[in-house]
Amino acid sequence: MNYPSATDVLVIGGGATGLGVAWDASLRGLSVVVLEQGDLGQGTSGRYHGLLHSGGRYILSDPTSARECARENLILRRIVPHAIEDTGGLFVSTPADPPEYADEWFAASRREGVAAQEITPSDALRLEPLLTPEAVRVFHVQDAALDSFDLLHALAAAIVAAGGHVLIRHRLERLTPAPDGFLAAVASPSNGSLLHIQARVVVNAAGPFAGRVAQLAGATLPLALGKGTMIAMATRLVNTVVNRLKPPADGDIIVPVGTVAVLGTTDTPVEAPEDVRIEPWEVDLLLYEAAALIPSIQDHRPLRAWAGIRPLYRPPDAGQTETRRLSRAHALIDHAAAGGPPRLVTIIGGKLSTFRRMAEDTVDLVQRHLGSSAPCRTDETPLSPPPRRFHRLPDRLESLGRHAAEPQLGLVCECELVTTEDIRRALDLSPTSDLDDLRRDLRLGMGPCQAAYCAYRSAGHLVRHDHETDAASALAIFLEERWRGVRPLMWGQSLRQFEANRRIYQDLLGMDRP
Amino acid sequence: MTDLVIVGAGLAGLLAANLAARRGASVTIVAQGRGSLSLSHGCIGLGSLPASDLAPEHPYHRAGKHRLKPAVDFFLEAAHAQGVKYLGTTDSVVRLPTAAGSVLSLHFVPATLAPGDLSHPGRTLVAGIQGFRDFDPSLVAAGLRARGVDAGSAELPHPGPPPTRDWYSTDIAARFERSWSAKEVGRLWRPSLDSAGRLGLPAVLGLTAQDRILSALEEALGITLFEIPTLPPSLPGLRLERALRRAALAAGCRLLEGSAAIGRIDGRSGGARTLGVSAVTPAGPRTVEAGATLLATGGVLNGGWRAERSGRLHESVFDLPIAGPENRQAWIGPSLFDPHPYDRYGLSVNVNMQPCDRDGRPFFPNVFACGGILGGADRRREQNRQGIDIVTAYAAVEAALS
Amino acid sequence: MRTAPALAEMCLKCNICTSACPVMAVSDEFLGPKAVGPQAERFRHPRAHVPNASVSWCSGCGVCSRVCPHGVPVTELNIQAKGKLAEQNGAPLRDQLLARPALLARFAGPVAPLANAALQARPARYLAEAVFGISRSAPMPRFARKTFRDLEASRQTEAPRPSARPAVAYFHGCSVNHYEPGLGQLAVRVLDRLGFDVWLPPQGCCGLPLQSNGLFEAARGYARTNLRGLAPFAAAGTPILGTSTSCTLALKHEYGAILGMEEEACEIVAGAVFDFFEFLRDSVPQPLDPGSLQPVPMRVVYHPPCQLKSHAIGLPAYDILRRVPGLEITLSDSECCGVAGTYGLKRERYAVARAVGETLFDQVRETAPDAVVTDSETCRWWIQGLSGVTAFHPMQILALALGLEENSPRMRRPDVPR
Repeated sequence: MNYPSATDVLVIGGGATGLGVAWDASLRGLSVVVLEQGDLGQGTSGRYHGLLHSGGRYILSDPTSARECARENLILRRIVPHAIEDTGGLFVSTPADPPEYADEWFAASRREGVAAQEITPSDALRLEPLLTPEAVRVFHVQDAALDSFDLLHALAAAIVAAGGHVLIRHRLERLTPAPDGFLAAVASPSNGSLLHIQARVVVNAAGPFAGRVAQLAGATLPLALGKGTMIAMATRLVNTVVNRLKPPADGDIIVPVGTVAVLGTTDTPVEAPEDVRIEPWEVDLLLYEAAALIPSIQDHRPLRAWAGIRPLYRPPDAGQTETRRLSRAHALIDHAAAGGPPRLVTIIGGKLSTFRRMAEDTVDLVQRHLGSSAPCRTDETPLSPPPRRFHRLPDRLESLGRHAAEPQLGLVCECELVTTEDIRRALDLSPTSDLDDLRRDLRLGMGPCQAAYCAYRSAGHLVRHDHETDAASALAIFLEERWRGVRPLMWGQSLRQFEANRRIYQDLLGMDRP
Repeated sequence: MTDLVIVGAGLAGLLAANLAARRGASVTIVAQGRGSLSLSHGCIGLGSLPASDLAPEHPYHRAGKHRLKPAVDFFLEAAHAQGVKYLGTTDSVVRLPTAAGSVLSLHFVPATLAPGDLSHPGRTLVAGIQGFRDFDPSLVAAGLRARGVDAGSAELPHPGPPPTRDWYSTDIAARFERSWSAKEVGRLWRPSLDSAGRLGLPAVLGLTAQDRILSALEEALGITLFEIPTLPPSLPGLRLERALRRAALAAGCRLLEGSAAIGRIDGRSGGARTLGVSAVTPAGPRTVEAGATLLATGGVLNGGWRAERSGRLHESVFDLPIAGPENRQAWIGPSLFDPHPYDRYGLSVNVNMQPCDRDGRPFFPNVFACGGILGGADRRREQNRQGIDIVTAYAAVEAALS
Repeated sequence: MRTAPALAEMCLKCNICTSACPVMAVSDEFLGPKAVGPQAERFRHPRAHVPNASVSWCSGCGVCSRVCPHGVPVTELNIQAKGKLAEQNGAPLRDQLLARPALLARFAGPVAPLANAALQARPARYLAEAVFGISRSAPMPRFARKTFRDLEASRQTEAPRPSARPAVAYFHGCSVNHYEPGLGQLAVRVLDRLGFDVWLPPQGCCGLPLQSNGLFEAARGYARTNLRGLAPFAAAGTPILGTSTSCTLALKHEYGAILGMEEEACEIVAGAVFDFFEFLRDSVPQPLDPGSLQPVPMRVVYHPPCQLKSHAIGLPAYDILRRVPGLEITLSDSECCGVAGTYGLKRERYAVARAVGETLFDQVRETAPDAVVTDSETCRWWIQGLSGVTAFHPMQILALALGLEENSPRMRRPDVPR
């Protein structure tokens, strides 16, 4: 791998924000390097609920965000259609919700430019048979499902195509002010040795880790971390995004993403960006709230639970406001203007749906530092679908369904239709001995059986690709990782699946600890 | 009216049915599904710990040490009568390789697996079949080598025309029994062998005729052969299940397959006794009136007992309570490979194999339990899942019919 | 009550159904019950088509549902998928014909000798295969000239008549009515000997062939006719007996679970239906004590039909025949004989169906029994036609044991050429 020794823009963080900034900058002719400490999608962008906001959620609580979402929704549908399934969305009020809220909401939707159309509850039930028959008012909006993995990989590919660098599994160790910007010391993943990159501007897009990055640069950053927990149900349940029509609260959204339905979300303040522990009350709450929208949710099988950390800007006047009430609008901080180190810019907050706008604002500021002035072109530049085969999108469910039912060979993961070919190609493009990397790229082991068969089958492929691989260890580590996501759901069928998998790997295959 | 209704058709339930029929009882088996033998290696582990290390409430102690030998003898005989031969003794173990290259120590193993005993030294070649996903010889060989075994791996060409869909172990087994000639296959595979003393193949050599097919293949290949269980469906487990089921049917047991069972209390007894069960059949519930009911429903895996989100733990047929904390998080350990508290959950029984409450009183005089539904054991750590199934089935039938 | 799709989520991928599927064991075309059932269910979008060509290879034998430890109704999922397929693509004329045996017989019956000659003649069979896709090798029964109902017209009644003896209603089905009226008459004689009066309620084809070919609406029409005719008997507590294990399963289970019929009559009728031998075993113990049975010195293989196993009543015919002195009875080695109703009759399925039953045919070849005994008519015609050994309904053996038939080779054989 050839490492760049100098760059115009060094972006810390390979999530949607960081990659968006790098992509925008590269389109404006700037050289870019992105540093991502993990794999693409390991951070907050890979842990979100999959919603491309229509803006409906924020109409009353955060109109700025709402307007922004509505605008960006249309733009993203133009530039990255392959990552989006046009599910549409419903806002549903139940008898338990304040009746006047619906009218206020609807009026505000017109004001803020969020397209909404009222439909009858019986039409809504026809559209979504599992929806509660007690729905009082229902509005249809332009929500969609956005696959962040597809998006991230498309962005990374575009950056590389434009001559930029995306360095994954590279940790920033030191950030030293230099005459014309910064000198970054970066730990190489292969041996931990340090690489040095000179950057004229550093963009801190490290999400929940932005505080630590700012510290490295000797800057302060008022960051609040809000943990959001989500549950994926084993099947899609609905084909439209379903939102609760009441002031935003925990557990009020259900998003169909591919073959699953994501129940979201909670908002709990945490101290550390690594704190993604899931408490039983969060699981119970999400299922309880979802039942208001889908009464039969108890009959359906939860698949996995995870949490992402929202990095929220805590403005100086916010004090101890609970994280749910902090604005979701993004915050762009020019540290120089705040008396901090020059040539350091932090972009935090916002939401994945508005990543492009966040990037645009950021690169505008970056250019001011660099004295250039090329216009932003991301709103009119389509992103090509990523080269690898990723999780196919729901609107291709039909072809997926056909695919699922036709005789074929070499299916490694039967739940998610990952083939031997897919694995070979992924390993060729990005060699790894970590099955979890393959999982992120290909959705290996992400189905209801949680890698019961494909863990074993794919371990063999690792060895075939690289004879030195300790396959037994890779297998054990992967199984342990799959376990982490189902731990909060250990009852009913999930407990049985876990027991079945232990019967296979511990009793039948005799495996023990990694 | 039947003498004994057995709920569950796994190893414990089927063995109990066979024994009860042998002793002249009329038996009805009500089973949802065919147990978990298809997930198992088909071997019999009696346990690695000495009896003195097991707690007094351990199923082995309840069943009684004196029952071990007769139970094992009965099992061996029942299996053998259906053409499934087991080798081994109660005092020694056979060390068999697994499909992941680990080693399991088991007391009785099917004859087609036995030559893989790693206690016997010598170079072992492990071979997979091209295209067959559920057995990776390189994983096996790497694991064995890491344990000091002289092992190598090879991939054998797929006999017959190339398949047009992925095959499971049972697909290959069916071809070995119906269409492939062992002689031809041997000729095809011979060039891939090296000078190893024995060859380990995935356990795919048939469902009913595995001894014959293995011998024929051995002759054609000119090397000692043994089978290694694959990812499910695991043929050695399936063979045992089929053998015991057919034996039960031939002995006159009635099998209501695909039916869940709901326990029925005998109203005439004022709730003191059970009537039998209600079998939930496709045609609606059907009462199976029985003098005694034997629960052989297994652990949590196939629903012998259930764990609800609310924290409630309960047995499935009679809704008997299962002792355990109401806090879900307390059921499981932090790491996958740890022992988990729920491993030990299940019904407590007395020495008559009757499920009892906290004070040691049987819930019902005519309800008995055996096999995986019993608590008080960590079958994984103790390596005695099948041993518990066999010994407690034997004890429960003796108690139920006395 | 969980829906089939919700129950599909319970699949743990244990592959027990995969290991038990008789079609997978002989065919690459079928991906298997797990794959086309609960696995594919996750990918089905309600608003999109469900092409699922592979699911049409499922024979509907039902073993997958029976062996699933988690209650996933795999068979039902597959039958529903086949129904959607037929709805979407239309069912070919061949399937429409095969699904209506009563209708076929109504035309052929009056000219039975001619029709039979035509059906059995090789050129006609070649033509039928080329034009309609009905396999020329699949054994076909002969039409009877007079229907069972005509022969027993005096027993036809719309409601139970007052009688001194206990009475039962007989659901004879198309097979007895149009192809084997003699068998029906034998059933009546057996019941009479056991002390029952026998009524024939108004009825038509049970509709199962329509359902298995995905023609649900038409099947529902037949179901309604039968429910109307049977309801008065069920309501009066008269047991409704059937000698065809397929017909009785349709009445007991499929009308509700597969066709989704919600009529009240559905449940009442289902509760009153019994398989013939189920009734004899569970309701008539006395006359079937071994002491009262004459010896039948025959060696037979009893093959439990798939649909009998789905009743979850055990093997009542086997239970009873074991009491017959002198009868050596062994169980079939095969889970399924292969015909699966109309499945094996289809040109493109015949080879697979044949292979499915091969274990049974091997057993017959090796053990050379005097006969194979099985309760289902399609199984009997198939087994007799392809194995060369006579296939009896268990009732025919019982009739011998009751002294109602001469114990001779002239005992009535199914009218299927060997």
